[in-house]
Amino acid sequence: MFITFALITLLGALGMLLQKNVIVAGLCMVATFFGVAGLFVLLANPVAAALQLIVYSGAIMVLVLFVIMMLNSHEEEKALARRPIQRWGSVILVAALAFGAVRLVQSSPGLKALGVSGAAMPPAMSLQTVGATLFADHLLGFEVAGLLLLAAMIGAVALTKRNL
Amino acid sequence: MTGMDAILHGGLQGYLVVALLLFALGLATVLLRRTLLMQFMGIELMLNAANVALLAFARFRGGDTQAMVFYLFIIAVAACEAAVGLALVIGLYRHRDTTDSDRAASLKQ
Repeated sequence: MFITFALITLLGALGMLLQKNVIVAGLCMVATFFGVAGLFVLLANPVAAALQLIVYSGAIMVLVLFVIMMLNSHEEEKALARRPIQRWGSVILVAALAFGAVRLVQSSPGLKALGVSGAAMPPAMSLQTVGATLFADHLLGFEVAGLLLLAAMIGAVALTKRNL
Repeated sequence: MTGMDAILHGGLQGYLVVALLLFALGLATVLLRRTLLMQFMGIELMLNAANVALLAFARFRGGDTQAMVFYLFIIAVAACEAAVGLALVIGLYRHRDTTDSDRAASLKQ
């Protein structure tokens, strides 16, 4: 199961990187979000999986697809300059970063020990415990997050409206 | 579960490897693609990779609830970022008639 969802996630991301058409790239990204939601289910965390599907695949991706269709620019524009050094440099940089980090994770004795000691499946995360922690210990943060969402909403309207 | 086995069958290291590769692909999207919308999606991908790592650590530390609260806040900030970022892309398109980040190199008209 794990390898299936991991492959869905990574192939979706790869498709997004390579796809020329922005709409198809957005749909590849939906596949990635579904794969990540599957990984969250395997992590005994159905609350996070539901949130992932609702917020990312539901809200953010629909917003992105609406903007893509509104702008009516589905293909990438022709490059002003080719910049081969920067492009190959960034490819090499990203590949080196990924390779080095994966090697580090693979060889870390601390992570290996934590993986063994935490292998017992904890009870699935329930909405009840999340809500209790959120409203008992992080009430101020919750209110600030609400305020931030309101500010972002007003900011987005102010930025896109031609004349207020 | 050790070594390759942990990575292939969903040990902690497997989740971390997936998160790292997802982050690398998001970073590559931001660096290699020029369309602002694609770069925005790359940023969302990197945020998601961080979420995968966070929740993997939470599960292997015995189902920590604090991580879920952090995840909620990260999602709230990501939603704000999406709204404001897309509004900026639309604003740029109105002024310049382009969504190419190379063509928007200066703030002056």
